[in-house]
Amino acid sequence: MTARRSPWLSLAAFAVYFFLLGPLVIVAASAVSDTEYLAFPPEGFSLRWFQRIFEVSAFLDTFWISLQIAVAGTVLALAVGIPAAFALKRHGVALPSWMGTFFVLPILVPEIVFGFSLLRSVSVALDLPIVPTLLIGHTVIVLPYCVRVVSASLANFDFSAQEAAISLGCPPVRSFFAVVLPNIRAGILAAFILAFITSLNNVPVSLFLIGPGVSTLPIQMLIYVENFFDPTIAALSVLLMVLTVVVMAVVEKTLGLGYFVR
Amino acid sequence: MTARSPLFTLLLAGTGLAALSTAALAQDGQLIISTWGFNGDILDEVLYAPFEAEHGVEIVIDQGNNADRLNRVRVRDGGVDLIYLADAYAQQAIADGLFQEIDRGQIPTIGEIYEVGQAPHGEAYGPAYTIGRYGIVYDSAATDDPVTSWGDLWREEFAGRVTIPNVSTTAGQLIVLAAGERAGVDAFENPDAAFAELEALAPNVLTAYGRSSELVNLFAQGEVVIAAAQDFVVGSIQDAVPTAVWAPLGDEAYANLNVINILEGSDQVDLAHAFIDFHLSQQIQHEMAVRGVDAPINRNVELTEEEAARWTYGAEVVEALRLPDYERLNEVGEDWTTRWEAIFAN
Amino acid sequence: MHRRFLPWLLVAPAGLVILVILVLPILDTARGTLDAAAGHGQAYLDFFDRGLNRGILWRTTKLALIVTAIAVVLGLPTAFYIARSPQARRSMLIVAAVFPLLTGTVVRSFAWIVILGRNGLLNDVLLWAGVIGEPIGLLYTETAIVLGLAYLFTPLMILSLVGVLENIDHDLMDAARSLGATPAATFRQVTLPLAVPGLIVGSVLVFTGSFTAYTTPVLLGGQRNTVLATLLYREAMVEFDWPAASTIAVIMMIVTVAIVLTMGWLARRMNPAVE
Repeated sequence: MTARRSPWLSLAAFAVYFFLLGPLVIVAASAVSDTEYLAFPPEGFSLRWFQRIFEVSAFLDTFWISLQIAVAGTVLALAVGIPAAFALKRHGVALPSWMGTFFVLPILVPEIVFGFSLLRSVSVALDLPIVPTLLIGHTVIVLPYCVRVVSASLANFDFSAQEAAISLGCPPVRSFFAVVLPNIRAGILAAFILAFITSLNNVPVSLFLIGPGVSTLPIQMLIYVENFFDPTIAALSVLLMVLTVVVMAVVEKTLGLGYFVR
Repeated sequence: MTARSPLFTLLLAGTGLAALSTAALAQDGQLIISTWGFNGDILDEVLYAPFEAEHGVEIVIDQGNNADRLNRVRVRDGGVDLIYLADAYAQQAIADGLFQEIDRGQIPTIGEIYEVGQAPHGEAYGPAYTIGRYGIVYDSAATDDPVTSWGDLWREEFAGRVTIPNVSTTAGQLIVLAAGERAGVDAFENPDAAFAELEALAPNVLTAYGRSSELVNLFAQGEVVIAAAQDFVVGSIQDAVPTAVWAPLGDEAYANLNVINILEGSDQVDLAHAFIDFHLSQQIQHEMAVRGVDAPINRNVELTEEEAARWTYGAEVVEALRLPDYERLNEVGEDWTTRWEAIFAN
Repeated sequence: MHRRFLPWLLVAPAGLVILVILVLPILDTARGTLDAAAGHGQAYLDFFDRGLNRGILWRTTKLALIVTAIAVVLGLPTAFYIARSPQARRSMLIVAAVFPLLTGTVVRSFAWIVILGRNGLLNDVLLWAGVIGEPIGLLYTETAIVLGLAYLFTPLMILSLVGVLENIDHDLMDAARSLGATPAATFRQVTLPLAVPGLIVGSVLVFTGSFTAYTTPVLLGGQRNTVLATLLYREAMVEFDWPAASTIAVIMMIVTVAIVLTMGWLARRMNPAVE
């Protein structure tokens, strides 16, 4: 299967990977620098910047808010997204062809435009408080990932199993929970994780929706970077990267990473 | 049936969390204060925590620069009790009818502050809590010629090493007045000449800053060596760049007042008054000055020479400062902002 | 009849969520730009009347084009390399390319502050190598934005390309080679045309992503190198001019939709098999 590769190609690919991963290594290394400013290579070794993360109450508070919004938004998106994915796969012919495109709209629409419109036409116009607005905004941005990943896992599902259950007298709704759902559990987990990370990292939509006592972790990090130049953000970045690695490792072990690439 | 439980648990948890986070906002016993993000840790310790303890209230902070915060108040139409603003922005807010009238009887400590700060916008609105100078801070190690005038910002040796406050910030428009003086005109009468001077300054300006802490950051990173700034940041800059100094601009420096006001729609009016009174008290004003947060405006605050070094301090200094005409600045605001952006924000 | 409505019933909740929370608010924003008292389209005339705005639109477009070009140049060889790697190695390489994508934009832009700052890594290296005599200003420039965005979006290009390159029959290339085609000619005449659909999808993602990016221009461009997204934020939250902000939002939407449709049309024309 493997063809010969020119050494130039390998060199080019190596250079690109250096470009992609080098900066993250630099961030990680400067997180342990024992200096008041960012230094690479790190000068001295200290873990105090990791300690500092837990002393800045803004980081803890906003991490908690981000976590709630990400979990609640993802769960809501799955709740409406799983039936939609099921319909697209099982009853695709009965639905117009633009339906698939309609569900990826939130990816196509510039997030900053969406954020502004949410503020202008929903939050302000309908007098909706900040947290619910944030929640519905995040639900919408993660919905495409839920629909697509769950659809992908349904692609391998043999619907005749459900038909069989129904013909044996199982009510259709129950057949969905008893037959279909267990078979796509892995896909749902992958969708959950992908959506969760997407929500946790979002800046443009949250940007317009912060207010008294309510902000998200990425927004707080953005403010911190603009204002301070110590290695705290580098340390926080390392923690977030570790979180990402752990999540990816779990997915890799349980499902294979094909889910992220689709 | 076991298959359904994980999903349902997840769903339940999700909706529960959603409900929880929605409820979190609507708590009683909160005093919501809109202020700058600078020195948050010290303010927490010196100002907020003691007040919270004494009054059994939770203080929630909305932070950002003047324009961001003022606009959030305009957008949200309520939700904030007290707001800290620079003079010019307070004036805008008054014009928009965003402030409640204050009851001076509930703020006895007003009598202790310098007269200039007692009622900068009339008896109906809030007092100043600090007074500062707007001038130049620079790294004395970066040049052989001491900086003594606004005109020094234009020096060729500072190419790409200057930062000025964003036009949307407290002192953003004052650079136009300085440019007018350099051109030998009154910028209000002849803005074209003033902006022509700013055009000439553009190659020197690396970026504009939106927050004081951003300015400190720019110095700390070595990106800039000279800035138009307010004097209260000098100490923080010196922590990062020990050779940084406040330029003696003499009578070229401007005064600026920061004021506290109670917002229309606040339902914590009594607490808000008590908080203003607390912030103006001699003890807090002294603590703020010593901890490097704000210059004292309370006449009874006594500082050692060392403590006073970074501040606009003492009756003599305070009474000599020139106050920019903020009312006129607000009138020309939109035009100047447009011109400023064409030069520095393109 | 129950059967006929079932599919619609199942897609309805998700469809309504997108319709009510995404589509309607954006249409409302767009409508707001049209019923200005001054007359139809006045908001747009005002926008284009300001040289500053035209400059920002041009800068945003220019930066997005450069970033797309860089992503193609970096992404093609890498994707090609990945596609020709053995299976086990391939998934590892894909993971390494995906990982930056799953790390937040704040973290990834922040990395470039560390690299490009006056006391940063790049200046240190250039000083050490004697290329420059004293540190040069790299941060808060268009170059910094381009680097940051290329860093942000190259993985998307790689993933889009790997998808199509994996499906190209290696025998086809080997056949071309055995018939005497040079590697370069094989690449140009066989591989490249087959990679076009992936190239188009990748370019759409990278261009629209760069065109609408907010975080990276804010952190790496500073106040002076305004792009449309930062202008939108400034008009909306600093200047408090919502009609102007809405106008920018609509212009961003129009450009994005135009690019998506044009590239989709191009993809169909070049390869009818693409959806």
